[in-house]
Amino acid sequence: MENRSWRRRLRKLHGRGSLMAGASVIALFCLVALFAEPFAPYAYSSQSSLEPMAPPTPIRFRDAQGRWRARPFIYARRLVDPSTQRYEEITDRAYPLELFTRGSSYELLWLFQANLHLFGVRAAGAEAPRVHLLGADKFGRDRFSRLLIATRYSLLMGPIAAVIASALGVLIGVIAGYKGGGIDIVLMRAADVVMALPALVLILAVRATFPPGLPPDVAVKLALTVFIFLGWAEMARLARGLTKELYQRKYVEAAVSLGCSPARLIVRHILLNAALPLTTQALLILPIFLLAETALSFLGVGLQEPEASWGSLLTAVDSNLFKRGHVFAELSPALAITLFVLGVRLIADGLEKKKREREEREVSSSYPLTSPRTGGSS
Amino acid sequence: MLRLIFSRLLQGVFVLLIISLLIFALLAAAGGDAVSALDNSRISEETRKTLRRIDGLDRPLRERYWNWVTEAARGNLGHSLVLHVPVWRLIRLPLLRTGVLAAAALSIAWLVALTLGIAAARRAGSWIDRLCSVIILLAASTPRLVLALLALALIASTPLFNVVGPTTDSATEVWSIRVIPSAIILSAPLVALFLAQTRAAIREALDEEFVRAARAKGVPEWAVLLRHTLRPAAGPLITTSGFSLGGVMSGSVVVEKVMGWPGLGQLTVSAVETRDIPLLLGVTLVASAAVMAGNLVADILQRLNNPRLR
Repeated sequence: MENRSWRRRLRKLHGRGSLMAGASVIALFCLVALFAEPFAPYAYSSQSSLEPMAPPTPIRFRDAQGRWRARPFIYARRLVDPSTQRYEEITDRAYPLELFTRGSSYELLWLFQANLHLFGVRAAGAEAPRVHLLGADKFGRDRFSRLLIATRYSLLMGPIAAVIASALGVLIGVIAGYKGGGIDIVLMRAADVVMALPALVLILAVRATFPPGLPPDVAVKLALTVFIFLGWAEMARLARGLTKELYQRKYVEAAVSLGCSPARLIVRHILLNAALPLTTQALLILPIFLLAETALSFLGVGLQEPEASWGSLLTAVDSNLFKRGHVFAELSPALAITLFVLGVRLIADGLEKKKREREEREVSSSYPLTSPRTGGSS
Repeated sequence: MLRLIFSRLLQGVFVLLIISLLIFALLAAAGGDAVSALDNSRISEETRKTLRRIDGLDRPLRERYWNWVTEAARGNLGHSLVLHVPVWRLIRLPLLRTGVLAAAALSIAWLVALTLGIAAARRAGSWIDRLCSVIILLAASTPRLVLALLALALIASTPLFNVVGPTTDSATEVWSIRVIPSAIILSAPLVALFLAQTRAAIREALDEEFVRAARAKGVPEWAVLLRHTLRPAAGPLITTSGFSLGGVMSGSVVVEKVMGWPGLGQLTVSAVETRDIPLLLGVTLVASAAVMAGNLVADILQRLNNPRLR
């Protein structure tokens, strides 16, 4: 008896494990997206001619004379060799770092002005060097700050497009499944065709018919529209299949015979029960939208300068990367993308396990599970 | 079978018409064309007007569309406004190259899925099984863009670079060995998908009655695996392959750009950059047609595999 119970508990934890891990990762990203400006030492668009294309600033505790200091500090650097982007430190003056520095001002949570940053160079004047955790790009902008602010945009575009496209897909799918017949056939054929199309090629073609210098909000709306037009199909198919299947259940039959209106039937009995697999599927296709936006920005037709998106931060990468030496710094947006997608997948995996657990319970009990919220009544 | 092919062809033509109509309609809404994309300020207004007249860009949109459709129906996709060569000539070789890339990626995915999937399904819970789970998670989560950049960074400093690295030479052989790194990268999400499906399908098939019957008859294990479990597993895999073609075409845009494989994807990118509308239309239509053709092939194969569907 004891053996079986701990094994079962371990399995439950395992299913919970992916869910928790994934949720923590996503929560972390949301945190960064909300508080990007305070976490970042500098504004994402602030250029500087001091250190273009600089490697990450070495943070030291031990100065050139060999003395140890209590505070970490950095040295100013000067460009020694422009062709290989080699910098040399100027060791006469040490600039200590501190937590909670006052720096450039921003709007905290879009509510009120603030200028507190998590860390930075203490008492930074115009001549003080900048602490670049991930180095600087060719305009001298801090890569770390840009990476943090890019989180905001990527987190906005991907999920919003996914949510709207999924909602549309579920609507179409439920209609197709509920009505059946001709409407069902037409809608599902349309879904098949849309699913088969090469999405990115079409998105690029649509984008190209508009002038390159579109104002950013128009470009965003355009991209969103095309994503939604091309992305509803998968959810529609799933919703249609689920609707058809759930329609066969006993409690739906009971509800219909009791005179339940179609709208109430769909919402309370079908949608509520289908919520779990639908959410799982929506989570699985979310990364596709995110990656589509990343690809657009990477190819230069998405978000424009000076705004930052993970994709646009990667455009500077070329085959000379390894020669330049700071691979991690330049590929850090790639790591961010991968981690985010991994987090979403882990949540989806966790939900999938929950669904399986629920199905096992349903099979093992004598009666089919009633609708979880209504308890069997309409 | 013939009915399927016929209805698919009809459907395909319908879809292509809609796509081309959509792009032309957007052109009408957006304004601007290849001539306005030439942002050299020394080109006078007069010259621009003449250029437009020569290229037929000043005719009303409806006329342009009608001309384009009637020409396309005859196989003439027009002339590139930027490079001044027939569009089809620009598309032909890159189309073949992307085809080779897609075929290679699919082959890699099938190979890995079948070998690892069968091995993992046979010994549930073993290290192979857990390795497969890890592979699936990683391959599905890592974006192809990331893989491509990593691969590029990795081979950049090695002598491998000259052999399999990016090429700007448009005379690259279609069957060149340079396709291999791109194919591996492109196949990553496919590997995840196919592996997961194969493993599940074979696991299910191994529990079936007919497998037990075959084993009782004395059929050797390898024959059991091949003949009895492969057929039911291959079915869904073929369907999934068909559905993944659109994704492969989309993925090839980024992978080709980064890895330097001069295929349809790279052509799309350059057409977008120069706003070369005839080329863009041609590429879009050819890409969509290719994907739909691939889907049709997958459906035919499906029916061949499972006679019950015929």
